[in-house]
Amino acid sequence: MDIELGSEDLAFREDVRGFFAENAYKAGEDYNVWRLEWFKKAAQMGGWDVPKWSKEFGGPGWTPTQHYIWEQETATATLPWDMPFGIGMVAPIIMAYGNEEQQKRFLPDIRARKVNWCQGYSEPGAGSDLAALKTKAVLSEDGTHYTVNGTKIWTTMAQIADWIFCLTRTDDSGIKQEGITFLLFPMKQKGIEVKPIITLGGAHSVNMVYFTDVSVPVENRIGEEGKGWTYAKGLLQHERTGLAGISRSIVALEKLKEQASSVKRGNGSLMDEPSFRAKVAELEIDLMASEYTELRSLASASAGSAPGPESSILKLKGTEIQQRIAKLTVEAGGIYSAAWGRGVGHKFAKAGMGGYLASRAFTIYGGASEVQKDVIAKNVLGLKRSTT
Amino acid sequence: MNFELTNEQQMLQDSVARFIQDNYDLESRAKSAASKSGFSQDHWQTMADLGWLGLGFDEADGGFGGGHVDIMLLMEQFGKGLVLEPLLASVILGGGALKRGACAELKTEILPGLIDGSRQLALAYAEEQAHFDLHDVITTARSKDDGFIINGHKSMVLHAGTADQIVVSARTSGGQIDENGISLFLIDADAEGVKRENFPTVDGLQACEVTLKDVIVGSNRLLGELDDGFAILNNVATDAILALSAEAVGAMEILYKDTVEYTQQREQFGHPLADFQVMQHRMVEMFMEYEQCKSLLYRATMEAAQGSATTQRTVHALKHLVGKSGIFIAENAVQLHGGMGMTEELRIGHYLKRMIVIDAQFGNADYHLQKFAA
Ligand SMILES: Cc1cc2nc3c(=O)[nH]c(=O)nc-3n(C[C@H](O)[C@H](O)[C@H](O)COP(=O)(O)OP(=O)(O)OC[C@H]3O[C@@H](n4cnc5c(N)ncnc54)[C@H](O)[C@@H]3O)c2cc1C
Repeated sequence: MDIELGSEDLAFREDVRGFFAENAYKAGEDYNVWRLEWFKKAAQMGGWDVPKWSKEFGGPGWTPTQHYIWEQETATATLPWDMPFGIGMVAPIIMAYGNEEQQKRFLPDIRARKVNWCQGYSEPGAGSDLAALKTKAVLSEDGTHYTVNGTKIWTTMAQIADWIFCLTRTDDSGIKQEGITFLLFPMKQKGIEVKPIITLGGAHSVNMVYFTDVSVPVENRIGEEGKGWTYAKGLLQHERTGLAGISRSIVALEKLKEQASSVKRGNGSLMDEPSFRAKVAELEIDLMASEYTELRSLASASAGSAPGPESSILKLKGTEIQQRIAKLTVEAGGIYSAAWGRGVGHKFAKAGMGGYLASRAFTIYGGASEVQKDVIAKNVLGLKRSTT
Repeated sequence: MNFELTNEQQMLQDSVARFIQDNYDLESRAKSAASKSGFSQDHWQTMADLGWLGLGFDEADGGFGGGHVDIMLLMEQFGKGLVLEPLLASVILGGGALKRGACAELKTEILPGLIDGSRQLALAYAEEQAHFDLHDVITTARSKDDGFIINGHKSMVLHAGTADQIVVSARTSGGQIDENGISLFLIDADAEGVKRENFPTVDGLQACEVTLKDVIVGSNRLLGELDDGFAILNNVATDAILALSAEAVGAMEILYKDTVEYTQQREQFGHPLADFQVMQHRMVEMFMEYEQCKSLLYRATMEAAQGSATTQRTVHALKHLVGKSGIFIAENAVQLHGGMGMTEELRIGHYLKRMIVIDAQFGNADYHLQKFAA
């Protein structure tokens, strides 16, 4: 055990910093042109556009320490926007369970950020109990295509997505985890209707998605029919570790300190108030520990073993920390946090409330906290429940 | 010791509850909030006609002589409906300053209209640098001829956009944070030199940034004694905290009851969510916090009604607990509703927003804990 960065790692960090500085967005530039160009250049660095992809599929094949350095540096640099659904969620499934033809067909466009994806898992009756999903896919008699009917809910960014990866039911005769099939299909086609759901604060990011006789060629099925649950579970693990956002929280906490220092209290600032300081300190301590929990998890993942028990707590801890930071930001804004859509008083207060409201979903999506704890109790601690 | 309501109080509670029941569904509320004034003029008139706007005033002032308990009952029901009408701003804040500080002549001029709903007041106390301290005042009032000239900037003035007159705290002597040297003035909202910038607040209400530039006010519009405004302001704040806390307790009741109901209906894993022990315990905690807040609300309200010497300290305790528990209950209500709790369509989230704002008004949970411990 050793926490010193070696000379190679230090050199890598310099390279990363250099790359971010050199390719930073310059005022006046066409954002979209810059964005795509950025990913191209990152690709030329040897897979920096897809840090988490394996070497086999064009990823950089970094060591855990390099991943850690990348995470740290990206938290402070301004990277082009990116959605997790393609690069981080469906791509790993296609790599692991898709056939070669599907890999050739889908991965290059995902990598080039040409296609926006959305995740069609949850349904009105299937949230935490995802395996209860009912969206039906029926294979045609000639075996060439599925006909999909059903309703998805909470589909993030369905309104702009080109493609959806979707869990469908092809068999309901056995236990519910069996008979689920993983399909990919375009969103802009006959039979698909997207209706917005407005969340707290007026944002439109999630949707209801209705399928009426949507036709999906059988070539768009990932793996075997009826095995979709196994594939999706692997993906959920990816999604969850990605949601902890520890490095981002470290940066967010530093920002909160600055903001609180700008709020005058008597002769000092809010940061001088013992009770506020203590809450910030508690967060800092939790983050110090979480940073190393993440590192341990990274190390065991790269050693080829299954994610260790420590990885299971990252989503829970990480999202809770994000919520606490969001809430303290609102607290720091005082009464000015209440002004809606308009900066009044402290400059940061305007964004604070929206951030806080959005943060309440962090412990709901990607596995609600209560259910995550059930999973840890069962899978990690090996506990049984005598009653429901 | 008696927690029973009198017949009149029971009737008041019933009639407010009925009004909320009949008028305050989420959709009508959204419609009123989106209107220009930000609330329903019809409801406002109804509230006046039912005598609710006069509850806090003596009969001699044209009011109905109700006490703290009546206001508590009213506000608790208002909290259940997330009422938009400016009763707090106009009657408890503006009217509270007036009834304590105005001379007989000024009362005769203003209070009847306030009570019959034709006149609306607001109270401008907050300033950007002040955080939660009522005595941190930079706005100045210089005496000139037979009056004063006011200059400064007041922040987050609740419902000033629709107010006819605004009570303003201004420094007439002393340093920025001295309790002495603050005076209260009643100015016309459209007087020369008054600029109001109206905006919505996250909970669906409205507030203004108010800029005062060489605003001239006659000395007959001074409330209370010169330099002695802080005591009035502090008492008004106490009433406001009691009213807001009652509102919060009403909102907490909705939050925990809605959650109990929803989790019994929603099934996952072949069971109603309410069957899971984790859910049950969380809802028990929400319920406990609600009951504790209600107890402390009763305690503070009755102490205030008796004019007990410990009122101020109990009010600090109350605002601390209501802020902390209110947010705990609201956040968990959202959590236990899952994705549905995050939607604008369900009322849960709207109560969360209100709870966050209530915590931030007149000092948050931390602020009052410090005051209590001091
Ligand atoms: C902003 C947002 C974005 C989303 N984006 C997507 C997306 O892009 N694609 C997608 O497919 N889905 C998405 N989701 C859906 C998300 O995954 C679900 O909301 C989540 O799985 C919870 O399901 P639910 O909302 O139905 O809540 P429910 O499952 O009804 O849960 C409600 C409450 O009950 C608790 N609970 C449930 N079961 C148990 C149990 N057995 N024991 C104890 N407690 C329990 C939960 O913890 C929760 O507190 C999104 C959700 C949100 C809020």
